[in-house]
Amino acid sequence: MTSLFINDQEVEVTPGTSILEACRQNGVNVPYFCYHPELSVAANCRMCLVEVEGWNKPAASCCTPVSEGMKVKTATDSLKKDRQMVMEYLLINHPLDCPVCDQGGSCKLQDYAVEHGASRGRYAEHKRAAINYDLGPFVNTCMTRCIHCTRCVRFADEVAGTGDIGILNRADHMTITGIVEDALESELSGNLPDICPVGALLDKPSLDVSRPWELTRHQSTCTQCPNGCDIRIESRGDEVMRIQPVEGSPEPWICDRGRYVYDAFRSEHRILEPKIRRDGELVKADWNDAFARTAELLQGKRVGILFSPDWSVEGQTAIRLMRDALFPDARVAYDLHRRDMRPFAFEEGLSMTTAQIADADQVVVLGCDLRQRLPLLMQRLRKRGRAGKPVSRIGAMNYRTNMEISNDAIIRPRDWAAVIARAMEQVRDLGKTAAGFDEWMAAVSGRHEAGKVLADALISDSCALLVGEEIRGHADAAALIYGLDLLMRACGHAEAGNDGRNLIPEGMNTQVLAATFGDVRASAGELFAAATAGELDALILVGSDPVGDGLFPSAAKAALGNVPLVQVGAISGQIGEYAAVQLPAAAYAEIEGTFVNMEGRIRVADSPIRSLGEERPLWKVMMRMIQVMGGEAPVVNLNELRKATRRIMPALAEAADAGGQDSVLIAPARNKKAKALPADGSERFDLDVVSRYSFYREGMWARASELLSEAGRIHALDDVLVHPETLQSQGLEPGELRVKTFLGEQRYRVGVRDDVSPGVLFVAKRGVAGDISDVSTASIDAALSGGAQ
Amino acid sequence: MAIPSDPKQVKQICFDRINIPDVNRLAVARKHGAYEFLPTVLSEFDSARIIDEVKTSGLRGRGGAGFPTGLKWSFVPRNTGKPTYLLCNADEGEPGTFKDRDIMRFDPHLLIEGMIMAGFALGVHDAYIYVRGEFLHEVNVLNAAIAEAYEANLLGENILGSGYGMHLTVHRGAGAYICGEETALIESLEGKPGRPRFKPPFPAVEGFYRSPTVVNNVETLATVPAILKFGGDWHAAIGIPNNTGCKIFSVSGHVNKAGNYEVPMGTSLKTLIEEHCGGLQHGSAPKVVIPGGSSTPWLTAEHYDTPLTYDDMMKAGSMLGSGAIIVMDETADVVAMSRRLAHFYAHESCGQCTPCREGTGWLERVMTRVENGQGTEEDMSVLSEAATHMAGRTICALADGAAAPILSMLQHFPEEVRARLLEKAA
Repeated sequence: MTSLFINDQEVEVTPGTSILEACRQNGVNVPYFCYHPELSVAANCRMCLVEVEGWNKPAASCCTPVSEGMKVKTATDSLKKDRQMVMEYLLINHPLDCPVCDQGGSCKLQDYAVEHGASRGRYAEHKRAAINYDLGPFVNTCMTRCIHCTRCVRFADEVAGTGDIGILNRADHMTITGIVEDALESELSGNLPDICPVGALLDKPSLDVSRPWELTRHQSTCTQCPNGCDIRIESRGDEVMRIQPVEGSPEPWICDRGRYVYDAFRSEHRILEPKIRRDGELVKADWNDAFARTAELLQGKRVGILFSPDWSVEGQTAIRLMRDALFPDARVAYDLHRRDMRPFAFEEGLSMTTAQIADADQVVVLGCDLRQRLPLLMQRLRKRGRAGKPVSRIGAMNYRTNMEISNDAIIRPRDWAAVIARAMEQVRDLGKTAAGFDEWMAAVSGRHEAGKVLADALISDSCALLVGEEIRGHADAAALIYGLDLLMRACGHAEAGNDGRNLIPEGMNTQVLAATFGDVRASAGELFAAATAGELDALILVGSDPVGDGLFPSAAKAALGNVPLVQVGAISGQIGEYAAVQLPAAAYAEIEGTFVNMEGRIRVADSPIRSLGEERPLWKVMMRMIQVMGGEAPVVNLNELRKATRRIMPALAEAADAGGQDSVLIAPARNKKAKALPADGSERFDLDVVSRYSFYREGMWARASELLSEAGRIHALDDVLVHPETLQSQGLEPGELRVKTFLGEQRYRVGVRDDVSPGVLFVAKRGVAGDISDVSTASIDAALSGGAQ
Repeated sequence: MAIPSDPKQVKQICFDRINIPDVNRLAVARKHGAYEFLPTVLSEFDSARIIDEVKTSGLRGRGGAGFPTGLKWSFVPRNTGKPTYLLCNADEGEPGTFKDRDIMRFDPHLLIEGMIMAGFALGVHDAYIYVRGEFLHEVNVLNAAIAEAYEANLLGENILGSGYGMHLTVHRGAGAYICGEETALIESLEGKPGRPRFKPPFPAVEGFYRSPTVVNNVETLATVPAILKFGGDWHAAIGIPNNTGCKIFSVSGHVNKAGNYEVPMGTSLKTLIEEHCGGLQHGSAPKVVIPGGSSTPWLTAEHYDTPLTYDDMMKAGSMLGSGAIIVMDETADVVAMSRRLAHFYAHESCGQCTPCREGTGWLERVMTRVENGQGTEEDMSVLSEAATHMAGRTICALADGAAAPILSMLQHFPEEVRARLLEKAA
């Protein structure tokens, strides 16, 4: 430790710390504009000047490292004058339009002008103005207000990785600008208004509608992806104005999806009142009638239950209680992206925190579009890459990451087993093996060179394996994951304290769900098949949209043509067209509840925003459902429900009781007996189908949000994408083509992109011309299509 | 080399061959001693000895800061696993300075030889000369000289069979003053906009491409061959202690014979002007002398006898800087001078740091008003405060340079400025 004196007070900090950080850590207030703890140091605002004894001029504290015995003064008369002058310099070209600027009230420039500035400016010359530029649908620019701190430039370079904001010109002609007149291509763009210390970059969707002091703040958890960020929802009255990240939480940023989904809370897609379908139309009903109709459809029937993993843990316990009370034989599905329901050797969830992943010697991403799916984890890897640490990747497409991937391979999903077998051979040759290796390898005939990327990374002291949707949703997922498990064991990455096996889940709470529903779990596909085959009489669907999302849209449509649907939830979605009854349940921001993210981090949301309609917390809807069908509600208040939850999952109780919210994490399940050998099947069609996860369009919440939909339109791709070779080999041109699958034939706009693996059909835009997400293989038939008509 | 081995007789070092016709051509330069001592250095000297000789010589950086060259070289860490780079700062942007230009266009081989010796001492295998954008002719001369040097195996791999190799590349800047600041020069050479970096880390540790880097001025490097040939003690005996050797002064302004003059350090300002430059155009003593380029504080008649050394100039309240002496006689309008310099700095500020970005423009606009007789009494204090709080508060010293003319004007000629302000009232 280095000890130094700040204003005669002796303090200790880690060597190499900047004076500014030393001050911040010790509660000494030093003003600054350009410094940001998550960004590199620029040292350009000169507001953070301090005096160091023995130095002949003031030092910028943000870029000056501490040294032993250093004597720092932060509040001398001379510094006071310096800061006053910096404020005066900054304000000479600032428009001083605080009354019409949204930043007013939460503006560093304004605050510091009061704290450090003089009472009047002496500038009597012309002011310069700057030209605004387009930063996409979420960021408004008013560059005349800019103080050139370059935080946004550094954010684009370092965090977003897009590097498309820069500086033009010099002296007081200097302007911050976008390089191209186009949307900032980052899923983190909403953070720019947050880091801008002035009103130059403002939140566009909430522009000119509210003032910070009018807003009420609600702590909550975002459920838009399994990262489960802490969020602060800001509302004015009943209106949700914006969503912000929470200072001091594990993630300093939030993504655009989690931030701009807020307009869905008040959208027309919400289910705000009970509805019953009469003569083909959903019409408003009162709760009693809606429940009566529900009972009619469900009582004594064989039902299947499908729900979203994003409900609070309490809500999910209530679903289980409802099932046990009313439909003890019912099977339950909560994942629309899993085909293979055999137990996985390592189940969904991360065994490491995202911070640990970023610190591991090696990181390997397998079959995951991480930037779209988990932009904040992607951001951590980007930061890691900037520090020179490797990130390797294997996948069906060269998914854009905005970082340099150190070791990359593109493969067809049918080759996963051959990739793993190749990696096994390589590590075995280095003397690393595990029981079951030979048997597993023997089951695979081919070897794929991409296995080298995997094996090379595994030979290290710590390796974080991030297994994504291409493997999790694979028809032979259990075998692949078992193979990866063997590899990780062989290389010593599967031990307590050094467990690098991370299976990225589809949604929140998956560790808890595995415990709550493990014994009754089915795949969504199985439920739809059963309904289609007449083995079920009805489906209960709680807040998910199998028509719009997931791997089974055609199966879902077939099933819902056959059996009635009782829909419980907050958003109507595409599935709403099929509902016989809709029961409104409160959204995630509108309830008190517990959430567990992919790392196993527990969050209790306790300051909900107000509900607008007749919706009730999910657990109340479930309990009432039991009552109307003649049962007795097993719990009557939230407290009892929480006790029931803890009985089902004791780990949750331990973690919740442990005090510090992040000190205990819920580990994902491990199945030691989950032995599965790869099926060396020959595929019926010649293309492998991979579905794009669209950051802006995936999930019923995102689709209900006009803001996200707008961004989705800007970033839209062709319906399906293939490698140019895939078409050339059949003499086809890009355009409207017919795609053949076991479901039949569909017409698609087929585009080409050379970052898709040859032999892969990448479904980029879903639900346009029917959907082939159900299938894993397809072909483009030359004889049938051969051009536009 | 025709430089006398008796230090007492030495009149010039860098300009020793400057008047020889065609000395920019290798054959001519070699006839006059170029590269004569290089084989000895490459075979008999080692890094430590060269650095020691340069330290002993007392050579101080000729670019402006006057930092001891040997000491700078000794700060370069060894065995870092990264390459070490030698960059020659030939940006020569300081208003009033035109000395490096003459070395480059008339005797480029002197610079090249100095760079090979410096590169050898520092373990450099890639060196660059960053030349001011406007110096197209100089770049052409340098490139021709470098081509000849490669041809003669004075550059490239295994120089003269010594086993040591160094590549030398000329990079032409785009005319930004700030790129003469060494870290801005590095940024520019890396292909980025020229904006100074904050320090630490210093370039010696993390410079060009974040590798150990030495940046030296043209004149500094051109002095190295003589130091190594005649020894550090020889150089130390020229001039006066702590201010050794010769220095080129670029004299401009109201003198009868403006131009470059290389004289031993310690020659007085008056001697230089009266004896070498043919005296002033009007009057017996200058009204203003800017001794080290436009960024240095002004001197007045009372400092006319000051010896031209780093230390004496500092004592007089200014700096020797790059040795660009701008002389103004009694006909000069100090307000117009300051306004013109303020315009230069407002144009050349890189825009990074708040005080400089905003302050330089502010100063220029106020000065323009004052010059046009539209000033107010408050402008005196505005100018003084806006200039004072720029200087020393920014990443690089451009703001100090921008403040110097304004503060000097207010310090030495407050009445003249006030008279301008009163013109309006009248």
